[in-house]
Amino acid sequence: MRSNPSSYELIAPGTLDAVLGLMAKEPGAWTPVAGGTEVMVQFGAGKLMPTRLISIRDIAELRGITETAEELHIGAGCSYADLRRHTTLSAEFPLLNTAASWTGSIANQNRGTLGGNIVNASPAADSLPALLVYEADLVLVSTRGVRRVRYVDFHTAYKKTLLAPDELIRTIILTRRYAGWISSARKVGPRNAQAIAKLCMAALVQTTGSQVHEIRIAFGSMAPVPLRLSNTESVLNNVTLNEEVIRAARRALESEVSPIDDIRSTRAYRVAVAGNLLEEFLRSLMTNGDDTLARWNRFPEEDAAKEILSCCGSTVWARAMAAARPFKDATGLSIRASEIWRGLSADEWLEAFRSHPRIGQRHAERETTTTSTKWSAGEQSNVTGSDDKVKRAIAEGNRQYEERFDRIFIVCATGKEPAEILKNLEHRLANDKITELQESATHQEEIMQLRLRKWLAPEGGA
Amino acid sequence: MVGVSVPRKEGAPKVTGTAQYVDDLSFEGMIYGATVRSTIARGRITKIEFDGNIPWDEFVIVTAKDVPGKNVVSLITDDQPILAETQINHPEEPILLLAHKDRHLLPLAVAAVKIEYDELPSVHSIEDSERCQEVVWGTDNIFKTYTIDKGNVDEVWKDAAWIVEGEYTTGAQEQLYIENNGVIAQWSEQDGVTVWGSMQCPFYVHKALIALTGLPAEKVRVLQTETGGAFGGKEDYPSIIAGHAVLLAKKAGVPVKIVYDRMEDMAATTKRHPSRTRHRTAVDKDGRLLGAEIEFVIDGGAYATLSPVVLSRGTIHAGGPYYWPSIRVRSKAVATNTPPHGAFRGFGAPQSLFALERHMDYVARTIGLAPDEFRRRNLLRPGQTTATAQEIREPIDMQHLLDRALELSDYHAKTALFAKTNANSSKKKGLGIAAFLHGAGFTGSGERYLNALVGVEANERGDVRVLVSSTEFGQGTNTILCQIAAETLGLEYDDISMAPIDTHVVPNSGPTVASRTAMIIGKLVQTAAIEMRQKLVDAGLLGEDTGREAFRAACGEYTQTIGRLNGCGRYQAPPNVYWDDAKYMGEAYPAFGWAVYVAEVTVDMTTYSVTVDDFVALQEVGRVLHPVLAAGQIEGGVAQGIGYALYENIVWNKGRMLNNQMTNYIMPTSQDLPPIRVYFEEVPYAYGPYGAKGIGELPMDGPAPAILNAVVAATGMEFRSIPLLPEDIFTALAVSHKEHGVAV
Amino acid sequence: MSASRQQIRFTVNGREAVVSAYPMARLLDVLRNDLALTGTKEGCGEGECGSCSVLLDGELVNSCLVPVLQVHGADVQTVEGFASEALHPVQKAFLECGGAQCGICTPGMIVATVNLLRNHPKPTMEQIREGLNGNLCRCTGYTRIFEAVRSAAEQVPAEALERPTRAKESSR
Repeated sequence: MRSNPSSYELIAPGTLDAVLGLMAKEPGAWTPVAGGTEVMVQFGAGKLMPTRLISIRDIAELRGITETAEELHIGAGCSYADLRRHTTLSAEFPLLNTAASWTGSIANQNRGTLGGNIVNASPAADSLPALLVYEADLVLVSTRGVRRVRYVDFHTAYKKTLLAPDELIRTIILTRRYAGWISSARKVGPRNAQAIAKLCMAALVQTTGSQVHEIRIAFGSMAPVPLRLSNTESVLNNVTLNEEVIRAARRALESEVSPIDDIRSTRAYRVAVAGNLLEEFLRSLMTNGDDTLARWNRFPEEDAAKEILSCCGSTVWARAMAAARPFKDATGLSIRASEIWRGLSADEWLEAFRSHPRIGQRHAERETTTTSTKWSAGEQSNVTGSDDKVKRAIAEGNRQYEERFDRIFIVCATGKEPAEILKNLEHRLANDKITELQESATHQEEIMQLRLRKWLAPEGGA
Repeated sequence: MVGVSVPRKEGAPKVTGTAQYVDDLSFEGMIYGATVRSTIARGRITKIEFDGNIPWDEFVIVTAKDVPGKNVVSLITDDQPILAETQINHPEEPILLLAHKDRHLLPLAVAAVKIEYDELPSVHSIEDSERCQEVVWGTDNIFKTYTIDKGNVDEVWKDAAWIVEGEYTTGAQEQLYIENNGVIAQWSEQDGVTVWGSMQCPFYVHKALIALTGLPAEKVRVLQTETGGAFGGKEDYPSIIAGHAVLLAKKAGVPVKIVYDRMEDMAATTKRHPSRTRHRTAVDKDGRLLGAEIEFVIDGGAYATLSPVVLSRGTIHAGGPYYWPSIRVRSKAVATNTPPHGAFRGFGAPQSLFALERHMDYVARTIGLAPDEFRRRNLLRPGQTTATAQEIREPIDMQHLLDRALELSDYHAKTALFAKTNANSSKKKGLGIAAFLHGAGFTGSGERYLNALVGVEANERGDVRVLVSSTEFGQGTNTILCQIAAETLGLEYDDISMAPIDTHVVPNSGPTVASRTAMIIGKLVQTAAIEMRQKLVDAGLLGEDTGREAFRAACGEYTQTIGRLNGCGRYQAPPNVYWDDAKYMGEAYPAFGWAVYVAEVTVDMTTYSVTVDDFVALQEVGRVLHPVLAAGQIEGGVAQGIGYALYENIVWNKGRMLNNQMTNYIMPTSQDLPPIRVYFEEVPYAYGPYGAKGIGELPMDGPAPAILNAVVAATGMEFRSIPLLPEDIFTALAVSHKEHGVAV
Repeated sequence: MSASRQQIRFTVNGREAVVSAYPMARLLDVLRNDLALTGTKEGCGEGECGSCSVLLDGELVNSCLVPVLQVHGADVQTVEGFASEALHPVQKAFLECGGAQCGICTPGMIVATVNLLRNHPKPTMEQIREGLNGNLCRCTGYTRIFEAVRSAAEQVPAEALERPTRAKESSR
């Protein structure tokens, strides 16, 4: 700790008017402190130049998020934790929600504020590109009055902004018009948490298939300020995506950005990765009509997990699959599905097993999806339609199996004759527990692959 | 008791926040100290001015002139001054000490000391040092050299079917214990010097303070406070900070506390030695190693400190777990104008084993064998000899370890799968193997030289205290030594406690380093306990085979009627351990831990970043005394190894560390590490307590080469340097694409 | 220009505290030096390592980044507030699972774990990793810390996650 607290003044007038009054009396003399995640780091390092500080953490007018039908008004004093907790914000402004979850750590999200980050004006800040593409407005206040400025105009040069010395940001305004837009947030840092970005991207687009209506792209750490890539956008607006357009967009990006070599990374790396991220995003938009996989690639993560759960009843698997998007094609999907399945724990396998009805019955022991039930019925149709003697033998075998292994018998029944299933059951009854767990998992994997194919190409059949 | 995961002995204070680390302690009248350090790499001090707005008359100021004894940090070579006089040899070299009662005044005071220098050209790389254009140490910039020469290396090349060469480099690594270095010192004419601090080796500090103060041994007292991580970073450095606090305390007449902040600790204290290794390997037509020439060089920084010993271990491990009919290892530690590098878990072996295991993969691919198959043909078997001609007498089965590690990691199935899927994927996956060994205990005659002494004593109730200078800093010293004593004496775990680490109280059982505590000190605790018990038997108070109650009653009787009841254990070398220091041949270590690690990685070709998805750590370590502690050691070591491979980069500028903050020196967070799967095999070691061998450093050797081998498998590109950053992968790709005329 | 000390009143672990401190004194230093609560540690002074973690009005924060003026009237919980006669279930879980090695990160980890379980009583692995992402541990590789959290989640009754009530009302 390299600063002397006795050399620093910190006051907390408690109301917005009082704070603004002081700032008007001596413009530039007082440095506002909200959560302190920037000021106190400099203080600890012995690098805090301003010695007169004014706390705005407790100013009620600066906190809270209000919504109207058209707009979301975010108090500049809202912490990143506040942003993440807000349902409408998370649902309608996923780029900002994601950026909030990337900022620092949980503890720093509880203290760091959106207003503080904007005023600090670091080109590396995670949430600023999101504000650029959502075309936020800022409400600035002083004793002289209130003014509303476009956020895209706010940063004028490296760490220089439109904010006057007697002004505070009071509100960040987002317009609620992005339903149906596709968004992508990417951050590249030295590690997965507590990382200052090497670069970060916020992209927002309205498309019909591969036809772009309007696209907005912004990057952090690629210029002295957070940057909207308007030249790159103009290459893409109102065009149909194809490889040539994507290459042209990449070239536009490369000439539009101006990153540097610094302690965190290099110029060349940043330019290359920014281009890669842009290409990856654009390619994910290119679709052959509206096929299932392409649509599923674009679902919000929760919905994607729910959708794919029918293919394999493990919630951990479903979430991992959703997180592994986008998939270029069915092959990639299929390979990853097996990889993830094989990496699950025994408990996670058991959860999946429980989503099946007993072979020969209709309903699974636990609730599952309607699709899963329907598919199970189809898979087991041979058995349910078989003659009584075999059915009874299978039922008896099931009972013995359950007694021995404490779970139901899993077999990939599609295309198998009941007699074959019975033979498999009898053979596996003799397995030891470890071998049998593995064998059940292998069958479940087969079932999963069949269901994935059915899901992606419903008319094509198994 | 042994083999059971009993609660950590000092665990309750740690989880309640009542454990006392040095900065939690405060003494009456105590003031605070700080260090004024060089801002240049090499030169001479020409002027020192005390500037500005500081009430200098309130400060205690100490320079080299105030050293009562010798101005030296006494360790091995004694070339490092405790405070620079006029000559500066590295950035951050300590010049002056300041003390004041207001802790907050110190940083400003330090900044207000204006020093002028005549700068001299400085040396900042191994290559610069070798060139000797500037000689910055001794006559040739070389602290130490070793040569190992087994068999007949010069003859192997003519019979070789392949000769494969490679050069591999490793960067410095910061230990990054979460508790910074800190110490409190007190000086009185009557009692002499007392020091409390965060440290691994109280008797190293003791020895250094004797040289510094000129006081006799009984007037120097060193106590270890609860230590928040060390990993080697508090092996020799505490002698420096303790010396500084002592000098201030002597002049101030009151206790002085010095605790570094993170920026100072990272910039000024020791780090892992950077290294460069060159391999030249001869292989026969059946893929069998015929011989090798290995050149192993480490950058020691500005003073010798521990470099000769780090070099020794790195040299001996350079041949790894393979059978070399002939091998020559030439090694040297060279000087640069950097803060001296020091001990960090592994101590030279992670460096040379990184090179070896990367090279083995490269050789395998060059001669057309799978990485596992090539290793299979060359792994040591019992009866064969190591690079120092040490015969493997343990029934170790490396073939089995390799088989099991491959199975646990699903190596073959996944390798085959990824070979198919990588072509069309932007996320390339691969697995990599590292096979290695790590010697436990001091090298060669080191343990004999240390001549460790350990004691146990019992009170009238039959409670037993263990007296060692082996310190706890998270690895479990207290717990396992109490377990061993309890098991040996037939007592309960709670009957045993550790004597406070106080050089006035405990005997010198040597430093807490070199993976020696469980194996060597544990054995001595057992010996001492047996001796103590035997006293009861000899006194007729205990039969040969009685339980806890009888023992406790006997202690009561003995202490009342006869006197103090204790036992001691003095180190005895196991039989057939011969080491030739001149030829550097023979039994280098009494025992080895053996391991095969497998890493699975994804290389994201969009961001060029590497993620470790799965990690299998399989090792043979003798008897596992405490399953939770042992697994914890492996998990922690693997985590540090992953950092070493992929994250922990030091940005140097003329010997100064530029990224000396936790925000820009990157260690893995909870969201960065894969599940680390730990498996043990146990082949009891006859001379360890209940069969145990050392394990503390073993896990540091495997992760980096395993991970890089996996990256090579995933991308098909050779990477030979760590840390491997995304920028490095990008650059290599860009270069290779340029060469092949492909747009990146 | 120098500041003067002020009276700052707040509650710590359910009891009222009054300190005379400079407004920019770090909460971490006030806890350790003025209130002799040395359980909260300094590892980095820059809000990266989390060993200074405390709960401020129920929220996890790095106390090295909080100026004490902003704590006036607030409620602070430190590691010392979790054990009364017996160990808190989270502390017990850390002991049993090997979640503490050198112990220096442990107070912060325990505070972060309590905070995590209050928000997610049955956390997934992902939530555990995120909940602890601001607490660095150099010794354990986090493996046994995750186990300790899982174990605590299974064993902690809802009451143990409640904030202790204030000993008496304090004025803001």
